[in-house]
Formats: sequence, structure tokens, C-alpha cells
Amino acid sequence: MCSASDRRRALLRWSAPFLLCALASACENGKHESMALAEAPVSDRPVGPIPGPQRDGGSIDNPYAGDPIALNQGRQYFLRYNCAGCHGDHAGGGMGPSLRDGDWIYGGSDSAVFASIAEGRAHGMPAWGTKLPADVVWKLAAYVKSLRTDQEPSPPDQTIPPPPKMP
Amino acid sequence: MRASLALFAVSALFLGLSCKKTPEKTASQTEVTAAPSPPPASGDVRTISPLPNGEWTLPAGDAANTRFSPLARIDTSNVKGLSVKSSFSTGITKGHEGQPLVVKNTLYVVTPYPNVLIAVDLTKPGHPIKWKYDPHASARAVGVACCDVVNRGASYADGKVIYNTLDAQTVAVDAETGQEVWKTKTGEPDKGETTTMAALVAKNLVLVGNSGGELGVRGKLVALDVATGREVWRAYNTGSDEDCRIGPDFKPFYPKDQGKDLGVTTWGPEQWKVGGATIWGWVSYDPDLDVVYYGTGNPGPWNADLRPGDNKWTISIIARNRSDGMMRWATQLAPNDAWDYDEINENVLFDMKWGDRMRKLLVHPGRTGFMFVLDRETGEMLAADKFEPTNWASGYDLKTGKAKEVPEKRPHMGKVTKGICPSSTGAKEFAPTAFSPRTGLLYVPAHNTCMDVEFVDANYIAGTPYLGNSTKMYPGPGGYQGELIGWNVAEKKAAWSVKEEKLPLTGGVLATGGDVVFYGTMDGWFKALDARSGQELWKQKLASGIVGNPMTFLGPDDKQYVAIYAGVGGWMGAVAQPTISADDPYAALGVVGAMKEIKHLTAPGDVVYVFGL
Repeated sequence: MCSASDRRRALLRWSAPFLLCALASACENGKHESMALAEAPVSDRPVGPIPGPQRDGGSIDNPYAGDPIALNQGRQYFLRYNCAGCHGDHAGGGMGPSLRDGDWIYGGSDSAVFASIAEGRAHGMPAWGTKLPADVVWKLAAYVKSLRTDQEPSPPDQTIPPPPKMP
Repeated sequence: MRASLALFAVSALFLGLSCKKTPEKTASQTEVTAAPSPPPASGDVRTISPLPNGEWTLPAGDAANTRFSPLARIDTSNVKGLSVKSSFSTGITKGHEGQPLVVKNTLYVVTPYPNVLIAVDLTKPGHPIKWKYDPHASARAVGVACCDVVNRGASYADGKVIYNTLDAQTVAVDAETGQEVWKTKTGEPDKGETTTMAALVAKNLVLVGNSGGELGVRGKLVALDVATGREVWRAYNTGSDEDCRIGPDFKPFYPKDQGKDLGVTTWGPEQWKVGGATIWGWVSYDPDLDVVYYGTGNPGPWNADLRPGDNKWTISIIARNRSDGMMRWATQLAPNDAWDYDEINENVLFDMKWGDRMRKLLVHPGRTGFMFVLDRETGEMLAADKFEPTNWASGYDLKTGKAKEVPEKRPHMGKVTKGICPSSTGAKEFAPTAFSPRTGLLYVPAHNTCMDVEFVDANYIAGTPYLGNSTKMYPGPGGYQGELIGWNVAEKKAAWSVKEEKLPLTGGVLATGGDVVFYGTMDGWFKALDARSGQELWKQKLASGIVGNPMTFLGPDDKQYVAIYAGVGGWMGAVAQPTISADDPYAALGVVGAMKEIKHLTAPGDVVYVFGL
């Protein structure tokens, strides 16, 4: 039986060449579609609209999902790599969109969130995959997916204080 | 060029004579402008760059940033008859700050990003669009604009409409044909630099600042040639004296601002390179002295523990020669700013009797919560009085020009400092005031918002935010959030005020020769007040919240009109956008805590309105 940490290592090994895989499959997609045009237009693959770049390989679950230590680390990375500056201190939005509103512009599966962080998105989201190792991206993705759940580390304090008294 | 020459011609508009000297079109109108009551005894006022005849050619109308129009056909007796004469949607749902221009029966609108320039024909019914110009501004800039993708307006000169685009370019467009005349790049969006400020034309130069104080951008003012767009000079607000264009002309009034290379020595090593001090609001120009004035923004990062020193020339008011950009004087209003109190707010220039003599004044309604009155020839601070609840400092020492800071309201790393007033959005944001020489009152669109702040670590990564700060804002003492204050400059206190309970004011103000004051609220009410009493005379609910500035002009039919943008957005107003969640009070740089009600009060969507009788 494969232990949780073994599974995690295996998934990390898989996710390191994630971008290359994605690129390769994108190329294959192109080939496949041109063939499809030349031959019979038969495919059970939906043609869209699907948010974000389409890829084969199915989805992959986040190895850190629900791991409280990893979620805390993800929260720290969220602050350290300036995600908070754009998306809001607790990801409620600002320069970048809210990540806690249940709307996933580029898909909300674990692998779609990973891809958004790693590859970047239009209108300002940097491609962090060029700067951060995959396990950091996975932990960021795990933190993002934990928002507004019972597992969210350091959820925002909703209390609005009474107005201060002036001297 | 004729229009701009006329604009900068100096007029002796003494208050007592203003009803006769008012540059109106007809004799009958001159009668209407007669002051209904005498001005305050202390209010001997001289304006320095009056508006051209019935037009509006600069962002604030005049170069002195008074936003006062002598037009008086709409006055306190008939303003209640205003109605919509035309309106059109721009199709954009981002904050529509700024104001239109009107030149030769054409109204010019600059939209938020993508910064389209729209020319509207005022001679035809319904005010049809004549042409649109699209600068094709790069979408790259959208992702590095801190606080919505706004634009604060254009200038007209020499047959051209000149404005900045979000991707840090300045464009000049032929006012007749809509053809691009020149385009000049002044900044680097890849490094977080954008341009949102209102380009100001002063004689043959257009003055351009930059935005990006939240992304470690280095603040600067660039002067471009109006005819060609060629860069004439560039002056940074941090760095060496050479970079800051500080030389023999530099004569700061206070010892705190004297010394060599303060833009380097008041920072940790190399920190001035990413130190902020951007210019994202308004520039003023005194044609007599041939000097331009502006305020600088926050230091970067927001976490002050990480940048020990005064951090010059952040949070400063700076005077420069127009012709060569050399600094004349500067005064820093908050050394080592710890509250993000950008002092980019407008500097309103006029001459007024102060004590026993007329003085050349600069009035700066500070985000810090203080109404600063400076001598604009020397930089001497003549007054600094609180106009909203303020507790980070107890006052200013006018002998030294220094704030009397309250240490327990200075945030630090590792603890939450509670109850700081005002919040980072200031006791007044960028939304500009208006000053009426007829009343001696400055009309201030103010905030009453406080905050809790904790400093956290900050990491400079080019093109991403550089903050180190966790902030939550909420309504201040008294519970109201906005206030329109009629501030008596001479008496250094409010003559009256109108409370706006629900939301702060982030739209500007217009004052007119008809003694009417116009302003808009973020929940979409466009209002007219009696300039002397503050009494509400008229109001109209618009399609979206107002963060723009009213302006007025004479139409081709010789009637007076008032134009305003609806279209909520900006830093605080962006909370109305669906991409910001109400359940994170710390989001959008901390404003959500104070602003979440806006989601029920208005929605985005930009509409240009023209009102008339």
C-alpha cells in the first residue's frame, strides 16, 4: 500500500514536468484537430467554451489538499509572493479578482488552479511556474481552494470595530 | 495656441470687482453674476488664471486648480429646474474619474482603460458623437494598476487634446479630426508603472506624472513639448539631487528639508530606486511665477519599518520651474510615512489677504487630515488645521513645518495598531476640491474613515505589489463616512458641512459664479448646494455611483450646462465591482471593511450626462 507521503512525492514528480506535458499535449491537440478536419469530424471531446487552455491527461488532485501544515505554508507563500497585494489580504480581490467568491474564471479544479498560478493569466497574473517550484505552487493552490471552508488558515476577522474616540 | 495664451493671461479678479470682470459672453449675463451678498471681510481674493470664455480647457478648468467657473446663468434661484439634456453610455464598467473638456462647441470625454477619446457635437440635438480615437493602450497595464483602471482627464492646447493612457503613454489628438498627432512613452508597465493623472498643459509643455506607488515605482514628473511630444525635462522625486533636478535654485523654507542628496541619504541602501513618491493626481501652475506645483505619493513599501529614514521626497509638496524643471522648494509633510498618506491631492492656488498683507497662497487639503495653507513663493507653512477626525498627529509646528506625531498611532511589524484616523484613503482622497473667490470657501469632498494596520514582510518582485501591510478600514467617529465641507480658508475652520452617511465622497466639486456648488456621491446622487449656506437646492439620482468631477460650460445656444460622469470605481468604489468579495474586509488594500454596503447601493456602468435648464 502506498503511503500518503509516497503518493505526494509521486505527484510532485509528475507535476514538475507539468508545463512540458501541457505544451506537448497542446501540440498534439493541434495535430489531432487538423486530422479531424481532413477526416470525419467525429470526437467525443467537448469543443468548448472551456475556460483556460484545454489539455489531455485529465485532472490531477492536489497532493496537499486539506493538509493543515501545507495550507498554512500556502497562506505564508500567498503573502510572501505578493499574491495578497493583488488578490486581497485574504484573497477577497483588489487589483486581481477575488478568489473566495466561488467563481473560477479559468476553472476551479486542482489542476486548473495550479495551471493558473504556474502559467499566468491575461491582464496581469504572472507565470509563477517560472519562479517557484511545483510544491510551492501546489501549496498556494491548496490554500486558494481552502478559502471560505472550515480549513482556511487565518480567515479574515469580520468584526468592524467601533469608531475610535478622538482625544 | 490662442486659447492657452488667453488662459494664462493674468487677470486682476479682485473679489469686489468680480461681478464686473467676470468673463461672460453677454452683458445681460454680467448682471446675473452680481454677488447677492458681500464676501467675508477677511476674504480679499485674487484668482490667478481665470477660465477662458465659457470653455473648459484644462482638467480643473483653470491651471490654478480652483474648479471655479464664473458662469452664473444657473444660479441658486433656478438650479432646481435642471434636467438631463443628453446622456450616453461609454460601454465601460470601470471607474469614470476625471471630467470632460469643452472647446469650440465640442465636448471631449476620456474613458477609463482602454482610454478612448470621444468627441461630442454640442451643436446638434441629443449631442451626437463626432468621432472616437482609440490609443490601443496595452492590456499589460491593466494588471499592474493598483486601484482600478482610471483616468483623471485631458488638457486642450494648440488645437490638440492631450492625455495619458494607462500604459504610461501620452497622446496628442487633433481636436478637429480625431487624428493622432503624437504619442510619447514615459514609463514601463512591466515594472508596475502606469499613468492615471490628469495631464496639465502649461505654456508649451505638458506635465506628466506616474502611478505605481504600490508596486515599487519611482515617482517622476516629465515635461513634454506640446507641439512634438518630445521630452524636454524629467525630474525624479527620489534619488540624487541631479536626478531630482535640485540645484542652486533650491531654497526649502525649513531646515528639515535642507541638505545634499536627501533623496538618497534619507533611505536605506538603494531603497530610493523602488521608493514610490509617484504623482497620480493633479499638477498646478502659476503663470506669474512660472512655477508648477504638485504633491507626491506614498513611499514603498507601505511597511515603514523596512525603510528607516525620512524617505524624501515622498509625501511632499514640491515647486519646480516650469521651463527647466529645477526644484524651487519642497516640504515633506510626513517623514517615514507609515499610513500610505499620499499627498498627491490638488494644490489650489490663489492670492488672498493673510494677516496684514496679500500673499500668494497654495492650499492643500491633505490626505493626512490637515488643511495646509502654504506661501507658494517660499514653501512656508501658514496653517495646518484638522478638517476630519485625525489622530496620527496632534498638529503641526508651523515654526519647523513638522508634524507632532502620536507615537502610539504609528504601526509596526508584529502587532496590530488599532483606531488610526484617517485611513490610508485619507481624510480626503484625490477627488478635487473647488474654491470660490466669491465666498472664500474651499469645498472639500471628505472622508471619515479609520483603520487597523499591521506591518508584515514585503518582497520586491518587479511588476507585483510591494506593500508589507495588512489593513482594515471602517467608518470613523460619528459613523458617517462622507462629508462635503465648506471650509473658510481665512478663518481656518468649516463654515458649514453636509454629511453623507453611507459612503465616502470620491467625486470632485465644482463652484460657480451663480453661487452653486455641484458634487456627486458614490451611491449616484448628483447634488447642487447653495455655496454660501450649504443648503441643498437640487439633486438627481444617476445610473451609477459618481467618482467624476462636475464641470460647466456655455453651449452654442449661449446657455449654461453642467456635465458629470456617472460610473463607480476607483480604489474605494471598485468594491462595487463583482470581482471583489464583501467577506474579506482586508481586501482591495483594506477598503472593503468600509465599503461593503456599496454593493447594495450602486453598480458599475459609465454614463456621461449633460444637464441644463
